[in-house]
Amino acid sequence: MHAIAIHGGAGAVPRASLSAEREARYRAGLERALDAGFAILEGGGSALDAVCAAVRLLEDDPNFNAGHGAALTRDGAAELDAAIMDGRQMRAGAVASVRHVKNPVELARHVMEKSRHVLLVGAGAEEFALEEGLVLVPNRYFRTAERLEQLESEQRGERVSDLVPPAPQGTVGAVARDGAGNLAAATSTGGMTNKRPGRVGDSPIIGAGTYAKNGVCAVSATGHGEYFIRAVAAHHVCAAVEHRGLTLEAAVAELLHQVLPALGGDGGLIALDHAGRIVMDFSTEGMFRGARDSNGRRDLAIY
Amino acid sequence: MSRRWLAIPCLWVLGVAAGAEPPPIALVIHGGAGVIDPQQMTPEHAAAYRAGLAAALDQGYAVLERGGSALEAVTTAVVILEDDPNFNAGRGAVLNEDGDAELDAALMDGNGPHAGAVAAVRHVKNPIELARLVMQHSPHVLLVGDGAEDFALEQGVLLVPRGYFRTRARKAELEEAKRTAAATPGGGTVGAVALDRAGNLAAGTSTGGLSNKHRGRVGDSPLIGAGTYASNASCAVSATGQGEFFIRQVVAYDVCALVQYKRLTLAQAAHEVVQVKLRASGGEGGLIALDPAGDIAMEFNSVGMFRAARDAHGRREIAMYRDTP
Repeated sequence: MHAIAIHGGAGAVPRASLSAEREARYRAGLERALDAGFAILEGGGSALDAVCAAVRLLEDDPNFNAGHGAALTRDGAAELDAAIMDGRQMRAGAVASVRHVKNPVELARHVMEKSRHVLLVGAGAEEFALEEGLVLVPNRYFRTAERLEQLESEQRGERVSDLVPPAPQGTVGAVARDGAGNLAAATSTGGMTNKRPGRVGDSPIIGAGTYAKNGVCAVSATGHGEYFIRAVAAHHVCAAVEHRGLTLEAAVAELLHQVLPALGGDGGLIALDHAGRIVMDFSTEGMFRGARDSNGRRDLAIY
Repeated sequence: MSRRWLAIPCLWVLGVAAGAEPPPIALVIHGGAGVIDPQQMTPEHAAAYRAGLAAALDQGYAVLERGGSALEAVTTAVVILEDDPNFNAGRGAVLNEDGDAELDAALMDGNGPHAGAVAAVRHVKNPIELARLVMQHSPHVLLVGDGAEDFALEQGVLLVPRGYFRTRARKAELEEAKRTAAATPGGGTVGAVALDRAGNLAAGTSTGGLSNKHRGRVGDSPLIGAGTYASNASCAVSATGQGEFFIRQVVAYDVCALVQYKRLTLAQAAHEVVQVKLRASGGEGGLIALDPAGDIAMEFNSVGMFRAARDAHGRREIAMYRDTP
């Protein structure tokens, strides 16, 4: 039994403003990532390789808020965060606030596999990327006309409050279970449009936006990062399954529809348990998502 | 129906009368786990560490005694430890591979919960205070590097030159670490957890991380759920040790999840996480924890953990190793 689920962010695009043409682009991107990840599992590859491949493709796709096409900070630069976790040995790697790394998920994997550390940030993370032989790209590689337009409209005004984070704007992630029963999770994001330089959300924080533990579950989240950090969201789901015996569905529902709303946050997540059961739930209007497993399930959905 | 309505306020009055003893305020602090081999600890050093712990403990506790918040008490205690050059936080923090201090800190208010954290800052005298500003004056939880320092300036926080943090002892440690080509646990992360008269819990942690660490490396201290966590519904935790293991195990939150959801006592939960789960993964270190009833846990699997606790029942203790309460 093998399975993979991916997401391209919750609450990214309101249904009313999603044209048929844009919807087709999003679907095509999700499909590509889903099938590439699944092909790795089909070929006997690891869950880790599958989530890495799927997230890489979503990072390269300018329609999603990660890698090329990421949301821009208030200074007009992309600052990227990513994490990956291997449920087999509970190894993890993450990077935050990097500005020149084409595929942050790949650097996160290098941190996990080639360093003693779990989380590297900023210029130090880029120094490590160079040590690892990764090629850095100029920051403008990430910038798209659409993201610049979003930044300008955000900067023109309509901010509700300095203390309330703006609505979530997409993030990408994947969770997988391979034939050997190993679980893995990965998440990558540009964070929120017009964010303060240096702001880090839940995606690269192990236990908040990303978590995987064999025998329990794998989770990748998307949404109001600050609330997901305070709720230790991804680990909350796994702890509810592990310590309280909740089903994955119940654990995810509790987090998204009780714990987070009580704090004031919304978003969504994808999760996968040891049996390969997939849960994709959200409290926003929609969440770009896809799931595929060896029992023949294959679906893509937005709302 | 009407009789039941009357009974409720009566019971409430009785409850208040029975609970006449003062609410269980408490403060627990740590100055790092696995710090210094007891064989190499000179009496002068031991006295200096004890004095630093005593100052932080008593001044933090004084905040609680005069009715101040757990958040205030934790901040007060951590600032004192940050300013003390003997501990690995603020001045006297360990140095990274470039010879600079890169500081991480987090603060969490169990009433909310609210949280603020900073990582990889190099010019902020008291990172715990900047973490508090992130919590109270930004929509965010975690700010890192230059962006965090820019926020500090916007908040009117004075920056200090990097030389402020460097001490002779830490330079020598870095040289030693470079000789052995390792990122060595500097030890001496600092942290505090407190319970105030209103029943609120708070936790704070501050550190310089590992000696000879890679520039940009962030450990568990500033990560909510890993090195720092507080919720009035379960407990407050501040951890210290090999950060990478603590991140992967989401240690601080795991203690609280075991208390809240598995109904373990605080002591059982701290023991389970530190002595069973961390040990099994090869992680070394410890943590301090406090629950809403004022129960205290100080658990470590390393050779020692600088620690101190004080509560409303007259307990006041400072300890460094397993057998020296």
